[in-house]
Amino acid sequence: MTEKTRSVRSIIMLIFIFFTVGYLIYSRIMAYSLAPTMKPADFHGLAIWEIPVAYMVDYFSHGWICLLFAFVAAGLIYEFIPKEAITKYMGGNKVTGYGLAIGMAPFLTVCSCTMVPLFAGILYIGAGIGPAMTFLLMAPAANILSILLTGEIISWELAGVRIIVSLVVALTAGIIISKTPWGKAIEKEHQQSSSGTQAAIEIVKPPLDERLWASLKFAGHLGKQILPFFLLGLVAVSYVEAYLPEDIVGTYLTGVTGVLIASVIGGPLYTPTLVEIVLGKGMWELGMSKGALLSWLMGQPYDVANALAVSRIVRWKVVLTYMVIAWAGSVIFGLTYGILSGSL
Amino acid sequence: MKEVTVEVIGVDPPCKRCQATYKNVEEAASTLKAKDIDVKISHMTVQSKDTIAKYGVIVSPALAINNVVKVMGRVPEKKEVERLILATVK
Repeated sequence: MTEKTRSVRSIIMLIFIFFTVGYLIYSRIMAYSLAPTMKPADFHGLAIWEIPVAYMVDYFSHGWICLLFAFVAAGLIYEFIPKEAITKYMGGNKVTGYGLAIGMAPFLTVCSCTMVPLFAGILYIGAGIGPAMTFLLMAPAANILSILLTGEIISWELAGVRIIVSLVVALTAGIIISKTPWGKAIEKEHQQSSSGTQAAIEIVKPPLDERLWASLKFAGHLGKQILPFFLLGLVAVSYVEAYLPEDIVGTYLTGVTGVLIASVIGGPLYTPTLVEIVLGKGMWELGMSKGALLSWLMGQPYDVANALAVSRIVRWKVVLTYMVIAWAGSVIFGLTYGILSGSL
Repeated sequence: MKEVTVEVIGVDPPCKRCQATYKNVEEAASTLKAKDIDVKISHMTVQSKDTIAKYGVIVSPALAINNVVKVMGRVPEKKEVERLILATVK
């Protein structure tokens, strides 16, 4: 391929990327909602099959740019972030380990299938169980896709609170587990095997047009993986909004009971990434308190599928410890946020 | 005939992106055969201590050519794999 065709290809892709970013900014200037705008009352009088259709038409007619932007941004960031830096610094001292685990979580976990292998990698490379744990607990709440969608669909306030709170919980869990005897045992096992790593790494960067194309392709790959679940989630949410009586939500999903129930169903109920956001929005619309909503969103790190995969790498004791800490965190912060925001 | 070893490092069970990488490497290998280069492809899993000890790679998929990691954390195109191999044997 000649230099000229390469530049032309790069320019076409850059135009598309600028269009996506520009349109998102335009939508913010015009200040219209990027979330579903239908209220539970709007569903009255619709036939059963019309409910999901109406809901999706409502959502996609104005929310498409948010989804498109989220996937393109995730693809670009994943492609351009220098991954070899992790290998270089991860084995360093404890503080660097924790710092990298936190800094890396938002960028490397857009695809949930990479989360557990990365957790194992951090452990095997000798960074210790603490940073590995912090990474694992931080990742579901902090990845680019879920931040953007929590912000646009629910609210930016909640997106901010969600990140800060998961950071605190993830760090606490990491530090506590690294101090327990069973955590130390596992750390010791892995530290010995990974000493003296002298890796030969010479990353060769391809030309710009190939990198841009690869990132758009990755965006498409993410879309293909996540959108089917997301669409199913939208269907489910439309029925929840149409049929779940508001007084049930008002009774069970508010107050201290609300936080407790939300924290319990948010965990074991395995919700694929992003569906928990729409489902949370639906229940919030029906009267769930903000405190309970936060607990619900924080339930992700201790879902069953994840715990099973992790238990194959570390022992059950560690898994149970982090599940208890994550659950306690989601209850404590759900209550605190509920009280502070006046919506418990 | 020149010999090159290529190791595709991915997760186990293989994810879509690791499979795509493996396929691109296989295709590049069959093209390079015509240029008298014999590419030996093998598969390594990123979740093993051997891989970490040898390469320190934790982000998959990754590609090591003649024991040097050239690609990490993304799917290389077929053409790119060819270029990398050619640059190595030269």
